[in-house]
Amino acid sequence: MKALNPFGLTARRRRAAARARGPLRDFLAAPLPDPSAPLEAVELVALDLETTGLNPRRDRMLSYGLVELRGGAIPLRGARHGLIRFDHRIPEAAAVIHRITDDQAAAGAPLEEVLPMLLETLAGKVLLAHFARVEQRFLDAACRRLYGGPFLIPTIDTLRLAERLFRLQNHAIQAADLRLFNLRPRYKLPRYRAHNALSDALACAELFLALAAEIQPDPARRHLAHFLC
Amino acid sequence: MEIELQEIRDFLAGVPPFDELPDETLDSLPEQLEIRYLRRGETFPPKGAGAALWLPRSGAIELRDAAGRLLARIGEGATIDDCLAPPPRPTGEAIEDSLLYCLPCAALRRLGEHYPTLERHFSISPRERMRRALETAGQDPIGIDDDLGAEVATLLKHPPVTIDASASIQQAAQRMSEERVSSLLVMRNECLAGIVTDSDLRRRVVAPGRDPGEPVGEIVSSDVHSIPPDASLMRAMLTMTRLRVHHLPVIDGDGRLLGLLSDGDITRRQTINPVFLASDIARADSLDELIAASRALPELQLRLASANASARHIGESISCLTDAICRRLLELGEQRFGAPPAPYLWLAGGSQARGEQSAHSDQDNAMILSDATRADELPWFEDLARFVSDGLNACGYVYCPGDAMATNPEWRQPLATWRGYFDRWIGHPEPKALMLSSIFFDLKPIHGDESLFESLHAEVLEKTRANTIFIAHLTANALSHRPPLGFFRNFVLIHDGKHDDTLDIKHRGLAPIVDIARIVALAEGLAPIATDARLRAAMGSPSLSREMGRNLRDALEFIARLRFRHQARQIRAGVVPDNYLPPAELSQLERSHLKDAFRIIQSMQELLEHRYQVGRLG
Repeated sequence: MKALNPFGLTARRRRAAARARGPLRDFLAAPLPDPSAPLEAVELVALDLETTGLNPRRDRMLSYGLVELRGGAIPLRGARHGLIRFDHRIPEAAAVIHRITDDQAAAGAPLEEVLPMLLETLAGKVLLAHFARVEQRFLDAACRRLYGGPFLIPTIDTLRLAERLFRLQNHAIQAADLRLFNLRPRYKLPRYRAHNALSDALACAELFLALAAEIQPDPARRHLAHFLC
Repeated sequence: MEIELQEIRDFLAGVPPFDELPDETLDSLPEQLEIRYLRRGETFPPKGAGAALWLPRSGAIELRDAAGRLLARIGEGATIDDCLAPPPRPTGEAIEDSLLYCLPCAALRRLGEHYPTLERHFSISPRERMRRALETAGQDPIGIDDDLGAEVATLLKHPPVTIDASASIQQAAQRMSEERVSSLLVMRNECLAGIVTDSDLRRRVVAPGRDPGEPVGEIVSSDVHSIPPDASLMRAMLTMTRLRVHHLPVIDGDGRLLGLLSDGDITRRQTINPVFLASDIARADSLDELIAASRALPELQLRLASANASARHIGESISCLTDAICRRLLELGEQRFGAPPAPYLWLAGGSQARGEQSAHSDQDNAMILSDATRADELPWFEDLARFVSDGLNACGYVYCPGDAMATNPEWRQPLATWRGYFDRWIGHPEPKALMLSSIFFDLKPIHGDESLFESLHAEVLEKTRANTIFIAHLTANALSHRPPLGFFRNFVLIHDGKHDDTLDIKHRGLAPIVDIARIVALAEGLAPIATDARLRAAMGSPSLSREMGRNLRDALEFIARLRFRHQARQIRAGVVPDNYLPPAELSQLERSHLKDAFRIIQSMQELLEHRYQVGRLG
């Protein structure tokens, strides 16, 4: 298992908090869950972002979807979804995937409102995403732009977990195998509509429950540290 | 609700009883759910989860009782109630990786306060639910259009009989004779060129002295009107009257010829009714006429079922007509072989005797002869039995595979021998006798000297009433027909956890109730033969509580109705009706009602098993 350095993350967060502004400071100052805690005792937030492209410096977030995980379950009461305002033309290559139109994007909430809400929801929790780099880097870029500091959060990436599991099982891996909607049938998870931020967040959260059960069948021995990136 | 939870909402909308909730309530349901995941082999309910109503979204959960016996297998679309159901709490394990939606009990109770039907769905007993299902079943027609509103396509059972226009008139006439049709569709290059009818042959060939060697295409009426398959019978009737024709080709939108509709087809449909049929049968002068009349039985069954007649009524109507066919065959036989040399009685056994037949069951019958019958008179009875049994077979009542028929000399005996049979069966119940019990303990006089049965029947009931050993054996035998546990996906779940692809509704649904009714009737010495009448008569006796009697009667009616509906679909599709119901034909609600009916049967079977200490029989 890959060595983790949560203390490094905590130290970096402490240093960044000293320089950050507004909601980001509070987010960075919130205490993190103990990596040795049982997974069921930790609160996670599965997050998915739809964006205009894959470059966090040039591209923008268009919508977010999130669900919370606690006690080994996904209470849907915590489900959130929203559009983020974008006043330019959405590149066609992105629009055909998430099907968000220019008009819809223009009617979304300003990032200045969405980002504080996301930071508050994520404060003190673990980020869960499939190919989490996208979520991390877009939120990082937004935090630096708006609040002058980095977005630092303990993260679980279901893509990395699946990859790790496949390697352990000596499976030949192809990139397509690791896509969210190709992994789900392996665990008999239902087919959901892809590329809607909330559907994807929920799909990722369910996949994580399945992966966690396969990686460590005994819930008592399922510790947060086993799953962090 | 976040609109993106639509998929979860739509899933819930298909799961009873949530399917009855109004849209706005369904919209608010997903956010009240929790999602959990159980890996194959993990125990259910998941550790740390509170009491809830569970809805598997994928995968499957197996529930077992404290002794580890399989109770149910729950897959997508079914529910596990850990809120309102009486204890014990459901426990088991995931037999596949399972994603579970979980509605906390508090949320379910809140819903129940607003929607009493929802609350009742979970809190009432299976019996109560069954009764309600029957009460509302009358409002749920089988979906077969009535009378003249029905589509033309519903009457097209046979592919059209055609001939090429280049064939000779004589060939056409020969073909009409072979196919026993009064009209023929004449085709030219795959297209309909016209029709030739009996009267065309008379008016256009024989009367003017035309050469029958000429091509039939020369004599067809060329301006043929047709009708689409989705037109109503009413429109077809009106079109025929207007055009003064008796036949209309049925052609669909793509120009395909589907068949030929005659005005006779329509009027026959109108007149298929038990009263007309009974008089046709009574007046029949030949086997052919009886065969023709018996052909209408499936259609009659279909029409009764579509008119939402009770299963009891349908069974009685069909059995009554079978009785009439038997009686007429016996009369025709007596005409052929001369008057009977000695008194005799012809009896029907099994479902016909109980008045629970569906169209074209097997035949079960027997003959009781007078003890005074002389050896030289015996061939007369053998001839008669052969004639009647063959006749029944020709009418669609195929020979009994177990040879329980009057043609078998064993079942064509003087009264004294029959008395000996019953003495032996009751006094020394052997496997063979017990197997025959469903036929010979359900006998009904059809024709002849009924006094030959009256005293015998009374004696038999007197003996069975006093004989708990016999009843115990009968019970042990009946317990081999166990109802299934329920359904799992599109399979029928059997006791040992095995699956059947179809529900054998006769053997696994009806037979157990029929057996129970026979047992309680014989144990109480009651004369009725029909299952419902037996249960009614035994209710309130030591053998059957009023409550259980009512439950069993409801279960019988519900199961029998499903069977008739299944057969109605088959008859309508031109398929020979059978008793094998594919679960896909059943709605989720019907599955749960059926499961309730199975549970009622099972609890009565357990009661009997216990009462007669069946385990001790070895």
